[in-house]
Amino acid sequence: MLFEVNSVQLSWTALVAWAVLAAAAHAQDAEAGRKKAEACVACHGPNGNSPHPQFPILAGQTARYIYLQLRDFKEGRRMEPQKELLHQKFSREDLFDLGAFFAAQKLRSTPFKPDPVKAERGKKKSEETLCTMCHLGGFMGQNEIPRVAGQHYDYIVKQLRDFKALKRTNDAGNMAAVAKTLSDRDIDDLGHYLAGLY
Amino acid sequence: MNKKPRHIIRGLALVAGVAWGLSTTAADVPKAISVSQDMLTKAGGQGTNWLHTNGSYDQARFYPGNQINAQNVKNLRPVFVVQTEVVESMETAPIVVDGVMYLTTSYNHVYAVDAATGKEFWHYKHKMGPVTTFCCGPNNRGVAISGGRLFMGTLDAKLVALDAKTGKLLWEQQIADPEKGYSETMAPTVVDNKVLIGTNGGEYGVRGFVKAFNADDGKLLWTFYTIPEKGHEGVWAVNDATGRNMKRDIAAEKAALAKDSSFYQTLGGGVWMNPAVDLKARTVWFVVGNPSPDLYGAERPGDNLYTNSIVAIDLDKGTYKCHFQYIAHDVWDLDAVSPPILVDVNDKAGKTIPGVIHGGKTGHIYVHDRKDCSLVRFSEAMIPQENMWVLPTAQGARMLPGANGGVEWSPMAVNAKLRLAYALNLHQPMTYHVEAAKYPGGKLWLGGAFKAIPGEKQWGRVAAVNIDTGKIAWKYDTEQPLIGGGLATAGNLFFFGEGNGLFKALDAANGKLLWQFQCGAGANAMPVSYMVGKKQYVAMGCGGNTQLDFKRGNSVFVFALP
Repeated sequence: MLFEVNSVQLSWTALVAWAVLAAAAHAQDAEAGRKKAEACVACHGPNGNSPHPQFPILAGQTARYIYLQLRDFKEGRRMEPQKELLHQKFSREDLFDLGAFFAAQKLRSTPFKPDPVKAERGKKKSEETLCTMCHLGGFMGQNEIPRVAGQHYDYIVKQLRDFKALKRTNDAGNMAAVAKTLSDRDIDDLGHYLAGLY
Repeated sequence: MNKKPRHIIRGLALVAGVAWGLSTTAADVPKAISVSQDMLTKAGGQGTNWLHTNGSYDQARFYPGNQINAQNVKNLRPVFVVQTEVVESMETAPIVVDGVMYLTTSYNHVYAVDAATGKEFWHYKHKMGPVTTFCCGPNNRGVAISGGRLFMGTLDAKLVALDAKTGKLLWEQQIADPEKGYSETMAPTVVDNKVLIGTNGGEYGVRGFVKAFNADDGKLLWTFYTIPEKGHEGVWAVNDATGRNMKRDIAAEKAALAKDSSFYQTLGGGVWMNPAVDLKARTVWFVVGNPSPDLYGAERPGDNLYTNSIVAIDLDKGTYKCHFQYIAHDVWDLDAVSPPILVDVNDKAGKTIPGVIHGGKTGHIYVHDRKDCSLVRFSEAMIPQENMWVLPTAQGARMLPGANGGVEWSPMAVNAKLRLAYALNLHQPMTYHVEAAKYPGGKLWLGGAFKAIPGEKQWGRVAAVNIDTGKIAWKYDTEQPLIGGGLATAGNLFFFGEGNGLFKALDAANGKLLWQFQCGAGANAMPVSYMVGKKQYVAMGCGGNTQLDFKRGNSVFVFALP
């Protein structure tokens, strides 16, 4: 048995102290991530709120998704010219820390103004496509499934087009299969709908 | 190692254990909790406690008390509500022993409350590791109990043992590597001091299993892999269990297998609902989920045994006894999930035999002979079927049922006196889309997608099926697809919940609606019943459902007669 309750005497003070330490250790992961994320600011903005529509907002993204995408960049499953060198130097722990840091940041709204007609069409398309079965209601994401709510329009549209054209292939066929059923107008509509969700 | 350092290590381990699994409420349960094997064995025949996820080792979800019955259920009222701190999908089946209820939430919280008043004793939060993998919500379906311990599987693929009185962590054991897609949402089953548990991961390229751990210390006793290293290609079945052709290209599959048969490590086959246990025969019965990837079959030629099968193994050694596969080489995710139920049935000649039944995502209830797993009969289709088995295409092929079923994980209930099995069904018209996809390293691996068909209505259906004939005795349709557990009682009632928040009681004999209560969030957990003193209670978790995106909540409602 790993834990022998009767073999030691422990005070509540010790327990509380350890709990505080454990909590602090958890906080340090995100804090360590903050330092490591300094390399990301140029593209992804301060605290992961990218000011550049072609680069994704990472603030408020799920930690697991960020970790897995960084892992895929590192292992060559996902390719972007800007990332090729950057991710090789990060360790597995670094990737966890970066995920923890960005997940803890607050997503801020973008200047993008969705077209209400397109956004409504996009909402209907998302419902018939069962997007929320994975991305959850409100497109807030879960674990390895990314939050898309409030993401840059340009980035959303590019990803859907890339999935459709098999330019992005680290989705194990899931998003490619979905995107192949979407027209250019559908993708535009979804971009308007999703970018307008906060 | 001398004595002093060992004590220090043990001390650190203890403190770490407490800190890593935080019990946030300090109050102990004010009585000794002890559940013997005899109590667990006889659980289905008594009405005081609810000791197993599905009521007994038979898993009939039948409560033998009748204080609440078809005549008086109209007077059923809420007694109290347990509000947890987790507003998320709720699938728990509370365990009740000697007036104490143990319930779980998403993200592996456990609450111990007074089962008659709702007073909270303690609240345990599992300290989650950095990697969790789950396709369909951070669910948990409850604890198992034995002796004075509770057992729970976690999203980071651990098995934890808690002190039922204090909520303190006793030990934890890593079941499998979550980085590779393994995780736990099912409640374990404890029998003869063995903690039985399977795994999620059919959508992630795991190699499924059922494992047995020693309840005292978490030591692994045996493992049964649901994917054999050799022979998973099976018999190259052309038809499904009902005799319909599955349109396989057997020659192409054989050629592919000759080139590469090494994929057994990523072939899927999760087991994520409780097994039934036949103590007399020392046999564990469970159903095995889909192969990986779900829709793209070219990666995995052969029957993909034992995916989509009911399987029997030896309780003491974990060795194979028999199996029956429903769909070989599944490319629709219409796998076997709803937990099997042990019940005597009539064979084809009308002779009573020990049977085992399973409600399939195909919409059939399958009835087997426990002697050899053979199929005795399958029921009428409980929901519409169309175009089976059209192969998925890039642009999508329409087929009914949709990928959620039929009967999803939802446990059925059986009223053996009425000879009826009650199944909660979904009707979700979908198109099936395939896309080539290599193993993505422990990430979601569908190899395609499922899409709802615009303009086609989705709905649910309770179907009561005669297990001796396979005929549907009655149907009760609902406005939304059904997911969650059912509960049959000796009061001639069938309880179940809906995604719109309604928790309902039907007349078990004819399906007439007798009572309903609006819980305010999806009633998608598993109802249970028990007694404290002389009063019968019914409990139901109402926290909604991630997979079908039903309204989330955080409550367990408990009802009784005034």
